[in-house]
Amino acid sequence: MMEGILRKAKRTAEQGNEVYLEVAREDFKKSCVFLYEKKRAFLRLMFAADERETGGEFKIYSVFSVPGKDRFYIVVLPVEEGSPTFPSITSSIPAAHWYEREIRDMFGLVPEGHPDPRRLIFHDSFPADSHPLRKDWSLSGMDKKEWGEGTAGKVPYRFMEVEGEGIYEIPVGPVHAGIIEPGHFRFSAVGETIFFLEPRLFYTHKGTEKHFEKIGFPEGVRLSERVSGTSSFSHSAAYCMAVEKAMGIEISENAKAARTLLLEFERLYNHIGDIGNMCAGTGFAVGYAKGALVKEELMQLNERITGHRYLRGMNVIGGVSKDIFRHRDDILSTAERATREYKEMMKLILGTVSHVERLENTGILSREIALKLGVTGVAARASGVNDDIRKSHPHLLYDKLLFEPHTMAKGDVFARMMIRAEEAECSLSMIDALLESNYRGDLTVGVRAIPPYASALGYAETPRGSVFYWVMSDKEGRPLRVKLRSPSFCNWPAVPFAVHGNIVPDFPLCNKSFNLSYSGCDM
Amino acid sequence: MLKEILKNIIRRKSVVPFPQGFRVSPEEASKVTDLQEKIDAVFGRSLRIRQVDAGSCNACEWECTALTNPVYDIQRFGIDFVASPRHADAVLVTGPVSRQMELALKKTYLATPEPRLVIACGDCAVDGGVYKGSYAVTEGVANVVPVDCYIPGCPPSPMAIISGIIQLLEKLTHLR
Ligand code: SF4
Repeated sequence: MMEGILRKAKRTAEQGNEVYLEVAREDFKKSCVFLYEKKRAFLRLMFAADERETGGEFKIYSVFSVPGKDRFYIVVLPVEEGSPTFPSITSSIPAAHWYEREIRDMFGLVPEGHPDPRRLIFHDSFPADSHPLRKDWSLSGMDKKEWGEGTAGKVPYRFMEVEGEGIYEIPVGPVHAGIIEPGHFRFSAVGETIFFLEPRLFYTHKGTEKHFEKIGFPEGVRLSERVSGTSSFSHSAAYCMAVEKAMGIEISENAKAARTLLLEFERLYNHIGDIGNMCAGTGFAVGYAKGALVKEELMQLNERITGHRYLRGMNVIGGVSKDIFRHRDDILSTAERATREYKEMMKLILGTVSHVERLENTGILSREIALKLGVTGVAARASGVNDDIRKSHPHLLYDKLLFEPHTMAKGDVFARMMIRAEEAECSLSMIDALLESNYRGDLTVGVRAIPPYASALGYAETPRGSVFYWVMSDKEGRPLRVKLRSPSFCNWPAVPFAVHGNIVPDFPLCNKSFNLSYSGCDM
Repeated sequence: MLKEILKNIIRRKSVVPFPQGFRVSPEEASKVTDLQEKIDAVFGRSLRIRQVDAGSCNACEWECTALTNPVYDIQRFGIDFVASPRHADAVLVTGPVSRQMELALKKTYLATPEPRLVIACGDCAVDGGVYKGSYAVTEGVANVVPVDCYIPGCPPSPMAIISGIIQLLEKLTHLR
C-alpha cells in the first residue's frame, strides 16, 4: 500500500515497528500529506535532530501511525546547515503547527510557509538567533541574566487582538489563584462569554531535552520521571522502552507485567482524582473531598508497594527495581475497598443534578477539531476519536489483556468525565486480571552498551494521552538526542477551541476536564 | 447528596473513624498536635500561604493539594492556601525556578506584605534537584528570593511538608 512513498524514498530502514523513509525536500510534504490524507494516519510527533557530526546535516522526523497497523512511518528530511529551512506541512496537517514552531525555536530551522512567525517556547527576553538544541550552542552569562530578569524584550511577542464593540480583554496568570501550574491566559470576552482565548505557556520550560543529553542514558530515567509529576511512571516507562530498544534488549515477562500493572495504577489514581477535581470546578465540595480521599488511599498503596507515592524509582533500564507481586494481597484488598468507595462517589456525583448540569454541553471539543489538532488521550476519545496507544501499538502485556478503548461522541466536559470513569473501571479489572497469573523471569535483564548512532521510539498511554520518547545515541553511545512528546503538548492548542462560546467562570471547569500538564508541555 | 447531608447531621456526634488502611504514625501525629499552639503564638491563629509554582513538575503541587484533603486536613490548624499573595504570611515555592518564572516569582514575593516568610518546598526548590545544571533554571529559590525554610524531598510527602512548617514555626517561637 505504501509503494508510492516507498518508491520515492531515497533510503529506507526498518527496525521493529519503525519504518524510516528518507525523502528529498520536494517529496517531504507530499509524503506526509499522503499518509495523513489518504491513509488517515495520525501525526504522532515531529522533531528535529542535530546530526551534523554524522553527515553535516540536521534531520527532520515526522512520525505517523496508520490506524489498524502496529507500525510507525517516519518520514525523514535531511536539512543542510547552509540553508536551514524546510517546507512547512502545517497548512495541510494542522497538528504540525506547534512542532514546527518548536523546531524553529530549538534548532533555528525555519518552516517555510508556516502561518505563525512568532516564537513558541522562548519568552521576550531570550535572545534572537539562539537555539539551545544545536550542538554548538551556548548562552552568555549576560544573556542568561537578562533572560531571568524578563524585562529586556528582545523579541516582542504579539498577542492576537480581537476588535469589536463590547470586546474586552482579561489577562490571567502566570501565577493563578489555586495551587496549579503557571501559564498566562488572555481572554477576549463579550460580556461573560469567551470569544477568544490565547494561552501563553512555557513558563516552566526547564531545558529538559538538552538536559537529557548532558546527563546520559542511565541518569535519564530519573529525569523522565520528573517531567510531569502525575505521569511519572508512564514517562519513565516510555523512556526506558526507547533506550532498551536502542540497546537491543528485551525485558522479562515479569518486568513487563509489573510495568503494565503500574501504568494502570497510575491511570487509576489520576482518573479518580481528576473526577473529584472537576467537582472543585463547580464548587461541589463533597464530591471533591470524596475523590481526594480515594486518590489518597491509592497513593498510599503506591507508597507501600513501590516506596514512592508517585511510583518513582521503579523503572530502571532493563526492567523494574522491585518485586511488586509480593504485595498481591495488599493490592487486592485496597483495590476492592477503592472500588467500593469509587462506586459510591460516582453515584453521588451522577446523582447531583446541579453538578452534572454544569458539565453537560460545557467546553465542547468537536471531533473534527480534535482530529485536525492531533488531540490525544481522554480528550480525543471523549470527542469520538478512537485512539489508544495501548490498543493501536500494543506493548508490554497489553496484547494479552482484553479491553476496548472507550469513546463518546459529544466532546463536552461530561463526556471527558465519563471516559475517565469508564477507564478507571477498566483499569481496575485489568489490575485484577494481571494479578491472576504468575510471571516468569528476573526483575531486570543485563544492560548492554548502546551502539553508535542507534535510535528507537518508546511510547506509553499516560492518564492524559500518549507519550513518546525518541532517543538517538552518538559515537560513544551517549545521548545525541532525546525527544520527548508529552500528551499535553498536543492537547493545549485544543483548549481555546473548547472554551470558545463558554462563559469565563466555566473556564476552570473546562481546564480541569482536560487536566493538562504545563510542565510536560513546556519541558 | 441530600441523603449524604442528612446522614451527616444524624450521625454528627459519632466519631468518624479514620479510613481503613491509612497510615499516619503516632510520632507524626503527636508532632502535629502542638502545631496549633505554635500557630496561635506566632500568627494569632492563622498561617496563610501563597503557593507559587516556579517550574515544578507538578508533583510538589499535588502534595500541597493533598494537605487540604480530608486525611491531612491542614485547615483545621488554621493553615490555608490563599488565592492572592496580598493575603499571605508566607510564600511556598516549588520547582527549580525556571528562568521564565523568575520575574513572576519576584513579583509575587514583593506583593506579599512584610514580614513575609519564604518556604522552598522540594529538592528542586532547594538546589535545582534533577534539573541542576540545565540552562533554563536558576538552581534553587534562594538564588531569586531569600529563603527562610527548606523542605527537601522529591516530592516531600504531605507529612514532610507539615513537619517543615512546624520547624519553621519552632524557629520563630524561639525568636519571640
Ligand atoms: S522536587 Fe521533585 S517533585 Fe518537586 S518539583 Fe522537583 S522534581 Fe518535581
